[in-house]
Amino acid sequence: MRGLMQLFAAYGNFLLFGLLELIALILVVNFNERQGLIWDNSWGMATAGLDQSADWLGEQWALRDELIRLQGENIRLMEQLDNARYSNAVRQDTFLRDSTEQLFSYIPANVISNSTISTTNFLRLDKGSNQGVMPNMGVISTDGIVGVVRAVTPHYSQVMSLLHRQTRIKAAIASSRYFGTLTWDGKSSRYMQLEAIPKHAILEAGDTVVTSGFSQLFPEGLRVGVVEQYDLSGGGNFYNIQVKLRNDLNTVRYVYIIKNEMWKEHKELEEAVNE
Amino acid sequence: MNNTVFRNIIRFVVLVALQGLFLKRVSDGWVSGSLYINIFLYPLFIMLLPLQTPRTGVLLLSFLMGISVDLFYDSLGVHAAALTAMGFARGLFLSLYEPREGYKLNANPTPGDLGMNWFLKYSASMLGLHLLVYFSVDAFSPIYVLGILTRTFFTFISTMVAILIFVFIFNPRR
Repeated sequence: MRGLMQLFAAYGNFLLFGLLELIALILVVNFNERQGLIWDNSWGMATAGLDQSADWLGEQWALRDELIRLQGENIRLMEQLDNARYSNAVRQDTFLRDSTEQLFSYIPANVISNSTISTTNFLRLDKGSNQGVMPNMGVISTDGIVGVVRAVTPHYSQVMSLLHRQTRIKAAIASSRYFGTLTWDGKSSRYMQLEAIPKHAILEAGDTVVTSGFSQLFPEGLRVGVVEQYDLSGGGNFYNIQVKLRNDLNTVRYVYIIKNEMWKEHKELEEAVNE
Repeated sequence: MNNTVFRNIIRFVVLVALQGLFLKRVSDGWVSGSLYINIFLYPLFIMLLPLQTPRTGVLLLSFLMGISVDLFYDSLGVHAAALTAMGFARGLFLSLYEPREGYKLNANPTPGDLGMNWFLKYSASMLGLHLLVYFSVDAFSPIYVLGILTRTFFTFISTMVAILIFVFIFNPRR
């Protein structure tokens, strides 16, 4: 109360001035037709703009939820695809029995940093070991493949982009099943090179390139890109093939990390061979 | 003291009547629609209030004067808004134009007490502010800024002439 008194003592006249002006302007707007119309119009426009902004904000929040929901839905569908399941069948029975096990499962993630301009590019994702991400997991987006997880922390993971000098992705020509290795020459972020396709293979520009499924990183048959051009220059036994990537790694925002449920068995096999 | 209050009450009534009954018709084109001159003489009442008047009193009187004129002009609030702004600025202009030796104890803001030069500066500043606010509130939108400025300019000239005539005729000392 005393503070209020002091306030009035110090700024009383200014407050009175403000109050009187407010009364005067309210009178202006209420008792003068022209000014009243201008006021109504401006107020309407201002609140309409505000309304729109509020709507937009609400939509953004709703979209966030929707995005997470759709990622979950996508995963559920992707995990039911044939290439994500391990088949136990050894012979064709007269009746079908569900005899598959989960081979690949997916973890949704958001890209929080990305680069495409160096020759050794990395992405960073907002999911880590807390969500079950481990090194050597493949990463894909809706349109194609993105890279391979190299390191993880509890909350984040570092992904070696396809656009990296050391990238070796096992890929195949979808129509003929010839398989080779995808590498990147460090030039364009839209093209990769497919190596080790033997020269007796029949190629055509526009052939689809898919993952071969021979590495345990990616399920079989994920579309990577199309053959843009090929030649046999250099005199070797293998084609030089330019593959145009399906996805643009410059714009990738939402990705899925692929978890191979049988990774451990593959490791055991490798160790058994090495011993 | 009583004499001062009485004089100011008379001045209030005279100025409101002059503005509302006579000058309004002049600005509406009184002489068979051939004479359109805006003259706002009523701010003179606030300008001529004694220097000792408390600022709160000046504010309340400004509002009252503005509303009274508004009743004649059928534009409730427009004159009041402008004159209240002028009443608030009165203290600022008074301290801005304060002579080096300060104001005398019982001085009035008149040419008789403080000199013609001082009064011209003082009344021109006050009137300029008043007219600018008045025409702004009247137009009520920044898109009319050119109209606001030209009206302020021409009304300023006619009103300054009227104020000087008024001051010369009545030569107020209190």
